[in-house]
Amino acid sequence: MSKFIATSAIRGAHGVVKDAEELLAQTIAEKGENTKIGFPNTAYWLPVIYGLTGHKVETLKDLKWPLEYARSLLPPVPKEKLWLPYLGETLDSGTATLFAEEAIEGLRFIRSEQPEKRNGFVCNGPIDDVQMRSWGIQMVDGRMPGFAAIVGAAKSNEVAVKIVRELQSKGLLVFLSGNVKGRSIIDQLLESGIELGYATFTVPFGTDTISAIYALGYATRAAFSFGGFTPGNARDVLLYNKFRCFAFALALGQVDDLKYATAAGAITYGFPVIADTLIPNVLPVGITRYEHVVSLPFDDIAGKDDLERAERLVQRCIEIRGVKVKVKKINIPVAYGPAFEGEVVRKANLSHEFGGKGGMCFELLQMKDMDEVQDGKIEVVGPDVDTLPLGNHPLAITVSVAGRKMQKDFEPVLERQIHHFVNGAEGIQHMGQRDITWIRFNKDSVAKGFRIKNLGDILHAKLQDDFGAIVDKVQVTLYTEKGKVAELLAKAREIYSERNVRAAGLTDESVDTYYSCTLCQSFAPTHVCVINPERVGLCGAYNWLDCRASFEINPRGPNQPVPKGAQVDTNKGEWDNVNKFVFDNTQMTHKRMTLYSLMDAPMTTCGCCECVMVLIPEANGVMIVSRDDYSMTPCGMTFTSLMGMVGGGQQTPGMMGHGKYYITSKKFIPAEGGLRRVVWMSSNLKEELTEDLKAVCERLGEPDLLDKIADEKVATTVEELMPFLETKGHPALTMPPLL
Amino acid sequence: MPKVEVPLEKWSGKVREVTLGGSGGRKGLTVGGEATLPFLSFEGAMPHPPSVAIEVSDTPASEWAAPLRQAWGDALEDPGAWAKKAAELGADLIVLRLNSAHPEQGNTGPEQAKAAAEKVLAAVNLPVVVLGPEVPEKDNEVLMAVSDLAAGQRIGLGYCMEKNYRTIAASCIANNHVALAKTPIDLNLAKQLNILISDVGLSADSIIMDPTTGALGYGLEYTYSVMERLRLAALVGDKMTAMPMFCTVGEESWRQKESKFAEGVPPTWGQHDRRSLVWEQITALALINAGADIVVLRHPKTVDAVKAAIRKLAG
Amino acid sequence: MALSGIEIYKHLPKTNCKDCGFPTCLAFAMKLSQKSVELSACPHVSEAGKTALEAASRPPIRLVTLGGGEKKIAVGNEVVLFRHEKTFYHPPGLVVRVKDTQSLAEVEKLVAAAAGYTVERVGIHMGLDGFAIENASGNGAAFLKCVDAVAAKTTLPLVLMSSDPAALEGALAKYADRKPLIYAANKDNVAAVAALAAKHKCPVAVVSRDGLDQLSDLTEAVNKAGVEDIVLDPGARDFGGTLRSLTQLRRLALKKNFRPLGYPVITFPGDSASSPEEETLLASQHVAKYGGIVVLNQFDPSLVYPLLTMRLNIYTDPQKPIQVQPGVYQVGTPKNSSPLLISTNFSLTYFAIAGETESSGYPAWLLIVDTEGQSVLTAWAAGKFDADKIAKSVKQFDMASKLAHRSLVLPGHVAVLRGELEEALPDWKIMVGPREAVDIGGFLKRSWS
Repeated sequence: MSKFIATSAIRGAHGVVKDAEELLAQTIAEKGENTKIGFPNTAYWLPVIYGLTGHKVETLKDLKWPLEYARSLLPPVPKEKLWLPYLGETLDSGTATLFAEEAIEGLRFIRSEQPEKRNGFVCNGPIDDVQMRSWGIQMVDGRMPGFAAIVGAAKSNEVAVKIVRELQSKGLLVFLSGNVKGRSIIDQLLESGIELGYATFTVPFGTDTISAIYALGYATRAAFSFGGFTPGNARDVLLYNKFRCFAFALALGQVDDLKYATAAGAITYGFPVIADTLIPNVLPVGITRYEHVVSLPFDDIAGKDDLERAERLVQRCIEIRGVKVKVKKINIPVAYGPAFEGEVVRKANLSHEFGGKGGMCFELLQMKDMDEVQDGKIEVVGPDVDTLPLGNHPLAITVSVAGRKMQKDFEPVLERQIHHFVNGAEGIQHMGQRDITWIRFNKDSVAKGFRIKNLGDILHAKLQDDFGAIVDKVQVTLYTEKGKVAELLAKAREIYSERNVRAAGLTDESVDTYYSCTLCQSFAPTHVCVINPERVGLCGAYNWLDCRASFEINPRGPNQPVPKGAQVDTNKGEWDNVNKFVFDNTQMTHKRMTLYSLMDAPMTTCGCCECVMVLIPEANGVMIVSRDDYSMTPCGMTFTSLMGMVGGGQQTPGMMGHGKYYITSKKFIPAEGGLRRVVWMSSNLKEELTEDLKAVCERLGEPDLLDKIADEKVATTVEELMPFLETKGHPALTMPPLL
Repeated sequence: MPKVEVPLEKWSGKVREVTLGGSGGRKGLTVGGEATLPFLSFEGAMPHPPSVAIEVSDTPASEWAAPLRQAWGDALEDPGAWAKKAAELGADLIVLRLNSAHPEQGNTGPEQAKAAAEKVLAAVNLPVVVLGPEVPEKDNEVLMAVSDLAAGQRIGLGYCMEKNYRTIAASCIANNHVALAKTPIDLNLAKQLNILISDVGLSADSIIMDPTTGALGYGLEYTYSVMERLRLAALVGDKMTAMPMFCTVGEESWRQKESKFAEGVPPTWGQHDRRSLVWEQITALALINAGADIVVLRHPKTVDAVKAAIRKLAG
Repeated sequence: MALSGIEIYKHLPKTNCKDCGFPTCLAFAMKLSQKSVELSACPHVSEAGKTALEAASRPPIRLVTLGGGEKKIAVGNEVVLFRHEKTFYHPPGLVVRVKDTQSLAEVEKLVAAAAGYTVERVGIHMGLDGFAIENASGNGAAFLKCVDAVAAKTTLPLVLMSSDPAALEGALAKYADRKPLIYAANKDNVAAVAALAAKHKCPVAVVSRDGLDQLSDLTEAVNKAGVEDIVLDPGARDFGGTLRSLTQLRRLALKKNFRPLGYPVITFPGDSASSPEEETLLASQHVAKYGGIVVLNQFDPSLVYPLLTMRLNIYTDPQKPIQVQPGVYQVGTPKNSSPLLISTNFSLTYFAIAGETESSGYPAWLLIVDTEGQSVLTAWAAGKFDADKIAKSVKQFDMASKLAHRSLVLPGHVAVLRGELEEALPDWKIMVGPREAVDIGGFLKRSWS
């Protein structure tokens, strides 16, 4: 904690507590100590005092104790050089300040000094319960992301208007109070003809700093109404606000002792304070979720003019509080929705295309630092389709994302979504990914005004909307000049190959957490997939990274982390925590589940598997049939009848469903001998995986192994299979017996 | 020492008790609390036998089948009169459906919703559940108004669905109501929604779940099995599946051809009035045996039959 | 503890002789581990193997078969308490009771009507399974006459209900080849009735109202007489009593492998019911909760149809969805200008779409594509609902000849198929409908004029 801030806040607290005590004494002298006191239209007395202490202030004499308590919280004002105050003292001063401020406003109501009247305008004073509840619901359900309490005055009237407009455009509720040398932001807005009040989500509390207490009174009552706490449970009230009320204070203009003291009060609620003047920063995280106090001197903010600076200031406030803003509508000139996903843009109606045969088009999504990304910035470098002739053109789509929960590993997961996002636009077709991207615009859409820039609008909106849990900022730059695209493509290819290497290096040993998938429990209640880096989900649709991202996006969803725990068996891939997780999540049906073994407690199957592996006892080996293979197999059953045996969440030693790519994994049934055990495989699998399988054979030092594996073309019965294997000298015949 | 020892399950969990009404002058009704599967009294307690709700609509339900329209007669014209008659016919609670708020069926707003709810609340002092048209945004709009109107009376509000649970849950917190959480026949989705609603801050004792009812012949077996699974999960100790269950039996049964039509159907279906009632009754009983805590019915004779069956099951 | 397929395999001959009806010994072993076949299907298993596999080969609830004709009632052999755990295999037999105190004409009329009753649902023909003849008169001759009357009208399985061994003997002497169920041996007549069952090789029911101990004493006594095919009547009659006692019986068999009570159960829902409706309601409970043979006191299609539907629902394999016949369906009376909606043959999907379309008020054509009973998204993901398949169906069922227009509506969930489908059906306009059936009404209103 900055000593400067602490000293100022403590000094400010001493001052305001003294003011409150004097005003109370004076009011009691004038009106008697049994005079009723309270804010209008609330059932919560003086809400901050009631909320944090449980003490109901009904008459003037009830106010004595809170002020005594406030005084008892006050630490001595630090001397120039003697002692360094700690965070605790500063926060105590903040709390004392809040009590004093609330007492003063209460007293002012009795003295007919509240709500404040100023040049014919009547300020709002405290928010009534009905309005609090209505906004409270919107904050709980996420329609309203939070509130901004502005204290002071902006650099100019234009800046004041811009700041408030920006906050409103993000759906934030705006509370106004305070002044700088007699000028308040309320004055600035009124002079600019801005309408203030509940209807416009801008509430003018009053023109002094003390009236900012109403913001905390609002927050306290919201915690009661929606947190279900009993009064006096200060910790619960404060934590509720920290985690559930996305609010912050914005101090505009010079910060005096009282503002510091009030800010200290706001921080106890977990609300960070941002100042547009030069004050010390208090960055470490603790009481607030992220930074405590951030100084952003207005004139130092990058921007071409004050208005742009104001916009950036608001953007930064939002980042600091971690407020999530929903993009409501994608702003493009054509319709958007899932109904357009299957559209094909045909030659006759083609306007412009990018990539495809002879073209050059790629997409690259990368994670950047927070301050390297400007959210919502979409730039086209080079001509757009309004000036480009019809036909094929180069295009580079580069997306930069930043987010507190973003991870480098999520880059490919998000990048793969571009296909799906772009296809949602009417008249736009997207195929492929990475450097084989192919995009086509049809004539109607271009005529309606669709531009390359709109691709950026779509990506920004959809990434924010669907992946807001991990992405805070999205910036898109689209390049259309050939030279530049070629240059960027070369760099992108390096990144793709780095990613490939990284993916290949992602081993089960290198992570301590696997992920579950319970999507299929609706029809296979005792099935759970445990997905590890070296074994994809049996449906082939989810790998370990997908599950990890899915968990970050939807922490209550079907993909949950499974800390693997202690290894029970290396070869079979058995871990104690995996066993426990499986037991708990299969209605206590399966006590053990190995991740690499076919014979001992193999993974269950839901019904969606790409392949089924079955023991062939006669051959001392296993066969693998794929979902696309309808023919009879040497085990005497087709894929469909095998599914009847193995599906539905059963554990069937000797039979197991799995994803195609598991066959090429280093963790492919090591307990049974890996690929050398495979005596038969559907020919379509062999064809599809040829290159990968050859690599596995090389790795095993048996380059001709693949040729020794039979398929349905040579054998659909054991009787046909055996001579084939013997002729070829298949290794399984001489391996240790499986049974 | 008897020779045959019946295996008893040692359940570690039990279903939560949720109270509707019981404040603001409204009669209280507690549901849930089972410590075993339905009616297995040799093993554990079922402190609150399943309750029977009667469904009333804010519209005169002109599309309802003849046996229903005959049974309710003039009461159909007014939700208050309807609720009153339902109470006289033995309903434990009233379920008001705000059908007219559906965008395709009138698209009425919060004022009409409040007016209908007010009539029902004034007509009976039974606990009340108000259901929107199941169009997420519209539900929020009309149910918010009803929630404020009935603040403190602890009514049920539905539905919290994946798309709109936050608003309704928040309003239940603010006004001390009970949220009805609906998910499409899936254990994990039901559990997830319960967790999400709890995350908003609504106490788990204020959530009743609707696993989505499939009528006899129209998906009954799916609902039946999902409910059995939810109940078993609750009994083995999963607190997020331990909410009482609510089934819209009448609505689903009476939508089907077998119940709706007397003519233009195969003669092998038998007499319409008898068949349609049994259709509703079998659906209700099956789901009660699967763990339903509240069944919402339409026909008065079904109410009698189902109440008798519950009595005999408990006896 | 159940043995795994691999463990069972070790005890089999490993000859792949196929005499069991399965292509390999392993395939047979896997089926055996699921208890869906009996070890006796393998003629070559060694004595040592048999002993080792005894536990795995004997189902915890014996499969009991009634009937000598084409249609039989086979009940028992259930392996789970809850259908979601696997499936319920053998639907309870629904039989109608007649009494020998009714006039023969009345009996004949009832039997003819009930035996001839069939009703179709999702392509499945459902009907009643047999008749119970009760010796209510106490007179053996009257009983036989009544059995004669029933037997003359139907070949369906019979239940012979009398506590008088002589009356039973009279009927059995004539109809033992129909393998009727003898109902019932009680503590007073068990020796005589068991002997009858042994002599005529017919299944026999045992009844006791004095608790499960007495019931198991009876089954043991019947066993000793050499009779294995037993049906239990634990004596309870009402809703709560039958639920509890049938649950206990099922648990004893499955959880404790308690052999003396490992048999199917017979119930009489009409005995405690105050009306035909209540009897049907209680019968529906017995269908779901562990009844094996359910004896009904009357036959009325308006009560039987719902009950048969209940049985169809509960005995559907939860892992194998019910399918509807692929093809063209009409909602209302569609014209050649009416919309054409495409979907899959998962029965729930079909019912939802048909129902919502019907309530939309728009007559329409539904083209139901064969996706092996999978729903739209599942079928699409599994490659069973793709553009080729849809195009093939459009051609196979010659939709073009039924319509004046060339528009078809795809389910919203498979909007991605639109492009491919345009290629596969170049003359057609492909429209994308809503994702959920409930929105069909709104969609037709907006998009179909």
